Amino acid sequence: MLDSGQKFVLRLLLLLGAGVLIGWLYGRAEIGLLLAALLGLVWQVRQLLTFERALRTGDFDAFRVGEGIWQQMFSRFHYAHERGSRYKSEYRRMLKEIRKSTNAMPDGAVIIDAENEIIVCNRAAKQLAGLKRKKDRGQRVDNLLRDPGVAKLLRANDPKQSTDIASPVKDGAWLNCRVVPYGASEKLLLLRDVTERMALNKMRRDFVANASHELRSPLTVLTGYLDTMADDEALLATWEQPLAQMQVQASRMAHIVSELLELSRLEGAGRATTEEIIDICDTLALSRKAFQGRPDTAAIEIECESKAQLRGKSREIESVIGNLLSNALRHTPAEGRVTLAWRSGPDGADLVVTDTGEGIAEEHIPRLTERFFRVDRGRARTDGGVGLGLAIVKHVLTRHDAELQISSDVGAGSEFRCHFPAARVVVDPPVPLAGGSQSA
Amino acid sequence: MEASDLTHHISRRFNKDIEDLRNSVLAMGGLVEAQLARAISAIVSGDSELGLKVAKDDHKVNDLEVNIDEECSRILATRAPAAGDLRLIVAIIKTITDLERIGDEAEKIGFLASKLAGMDRPSDAYRELKSLGTHVSHMLRDAMNAFARLDVNDAFEVVREDEQVDQEYNAIQRQCITFMMEDPRSIKRVMNVTWTARSLERIGDHAKNICEYVIYMVKGRDVRHTGISDAADLEPE
Repeated sequence: MLDSGQKFVLRLLLLLGAGVLIGWLYGRAEIGLLLAALLGLVWQVRQLLTFERALRTGDFDAFRVGEGIWQQMFSRFHYAHERGSRYKSEYRRMLKEIRKSTNAMPDGAVIIDAENEIIVCNRAAKQLAGLKRKKDRGQRVDNLLRDPGVAKLLRANDPKQSTDIASPVKDGAWLNCRVVPYGASEKLLLLRDVTERMALNKMRRDFVANASHELRSPLTVLTGYLDTMADDEALLATWEQPLAQMQVQASRMAHIVSELLELSRLEGAGRATTEEIIDICDTLALSRKAFQGRPDTAAIEIECESKAQLRGKSREIESVIGNLLSNALRHTPAEGRVTLAWRSGPDGADLVVTDTGEGIAEEHIPRLTERFFRVDRGRARTDGGVGLGLAIVKHVLTRHDAELQISSDVGAGSEFRCHFPAARVVVDPPVPLAGGSQSA
Repeated sequence: MEASDLTHHISRRFNKDIEDLRNSVLAMGGLVEAQLARAISAIVSGDSELGLKVAKDDHKVNDLEVNIDEECSRILATRAPAAGDLRLIVAIIKTITDLERIGDEAEKIGFLASKLAGMDRPSDAYRELKSLGTHVSHMLRDAMNAFARLDVNDAFEVVREDEQVDQEYNAIQRQCITFMMEDPRSIKRVMNVTWTARSLERIGDHAKNICEYVIYMVKGRDVRHTGISDAADLEPE
C-alpha cells in the first residue's frame, strides 16, 4: 500500500501527466501542463484556506471538504487537539482536587524555594501564620515569620528538627514549625497549631509544682510535732516504735516532695549556664566522703583520668553524681565495689559510674529514667529509694547537652555513663594560684 | 514601589546586596520582636531570670545594628543608589535606629521585670501592662510586616493605632498615681510599673516611626509630624 504522502505526489503527477496528454492531443503540450498545474494550485489553495479557517474559528465540523492528504492532516490535528484538551481538563480537575485537599489540611504548608521565597501556601498557613496567598508569593518566608527560631530552622534544613514559635496572628497561640527538604532545592515548611499541647504541658507542670508546694507545709507541721514527741521523756514505751516509723516515713515523703519540686524546676528551665566551671575530680572526692563509712556499703573508688573541667551548674552536677552513686551503692552488696571515673577525649568527656551489683535486665533499661519507675515493685519502699533520682539525672544532663548511656549485665553489675559534648568541657584548665606549680 | 521593583537592576550583585540588606533588617526586627515578647512575659509571669536574660541579650540587637549600618554605608559609597533605592537605604538607616531603641526599651523592661519579681504582686498580675504590651507588640509586628510587604495601608493602620496606645498609657499613669496616693509604701513598686509602661509607650512610638519610614520609602513623601489627616491623599481606598 502507498502511504498518504506518496499518494499525494502520485495524484499530482497524474494530473500534470493528464494535462500534458490533453495538450499534446491539441498540439500544445505546454499549455496543457500549465492549465493542469494551475488547476492543482487552485485546488490546494482552497483546501489550505478552509483548513486555516477551521483552525481560526475552532469550528472543525465546517472542515468537511478536505480530502486526501488534507483530510488526513485535519483528522490527525483534530485528534491531538481533542486529546490535549481532554488531558488539560483532567489535569485541571486533579489540580483542583489537590488544592482542595491541601486547603482542607489542618496543618499549614508553605512551599518555598532554595532562597526561602514562598512559592505557594495552603489556607491553613494563611490562617495560622497570617501569610497572604497572592501578595506574599516571592516574599522570603523568614521575612514574615521573623522569629529567630524559624531562620535557624531554615538554615539547618533538617526534617528532624522543629521549633515552637508564638503565633503571629493569634495571641497566646503556639505553632510548631518543621522544614522538610524535597526535590532539587525546594522545601516544605509545615506549621502545626500546638496551643493545646503547650497548655496541657504547662498545666501538668503547674499541677506537679502546686501539689508539691501544698504537700510541703502540712508535712513540716507533722515532722515538727513528731520530733517534739520523740524527744518527750514521758512518752510511753509502746509508742516509741510507731513514732520512729512515722518519722522515717515523714522524712521520706518530704524527700519525695523536694525531688518533685526540683524536677518541675528543671523542666521549666532552659539550657544550663556555661559560665560556671566545675572541677569534677574534686566533686567526686566530696561525694565519696558523703557516702563512705556508712555501715554495709561497698567500697568506693575514684579514677580521675583527666584534668578537664566542666562548664555547668555545680549544684546540679553534684546531684547527678550523688544520685548515681547512691543508686549504685543501694544495688551493690557490701563486699562489692563502686567506681567513679572521669575521662576526657577529643569528642568530649565522660563521667562513668560502675558497680559490681546485681545488674539490670535489658527490658527495664529504657524505662529507668521514668518517674517512680521501679524494677522490683515489691522491694520499692524498703531500700530508701524514691524513684525520682534517675529522672532528675536525665533532666540535669539534658540541660547540660549531655547524654545518659546505661549498660548492664544481670549479676555482674551496671555502668552509667554521662557523656558531655566537647563544647562543655574545658580541656586545659588554668592552674589555680594557690595550687602547686604543675608542669606545662 | 512594589516588592518586585527591588530586583530590577542590571547588576545582579546590586540586587543581591539590596535584597540581603532588607532581609537582615527584617531578621533584626524578628530578634527585637522576640526580645519584646520575652520582656513582657517576664513582667507578667514575674520571672526575674527571664527578665535578666532579655537584658543580657540586648547586645545581639546592637551588633546587628552596627553591621547593617556599615553595609548601608558601603552600598551608598560604592553604588551611589538613586530614587527608590536611595529612599530604601535612607529608610533602612532610620529603621534600624528605631529598632535598636526598641531593643533598649525591651532591655529596660527586662531589668524592671527582675526588680518587680522580687516585690509584692498585685492580684491582677499586671493586667494593664500585659494589655498595653500586647497592643504594642502588635504594632511592632504590623510595622515589620508593612516593611516586608511595602504595604502603605498597614503602615497607616499602625500610625493610627499609636493614639490608642497613648490613651492606654495615660490610663495606667492615672491608675498608678492613685495607687501611690492611697498607699505610700507601694510607691517604689508603682514607680517601676510606670517606667515599664513608659518604655512600652516609647516602643509604640518607635513602631510608628518605622511605619512612617515605610510610607516614605514607598510613596516618597515624608509624613512625619504632619498629622495623619494631611497624608490621607496617599492612602489608597
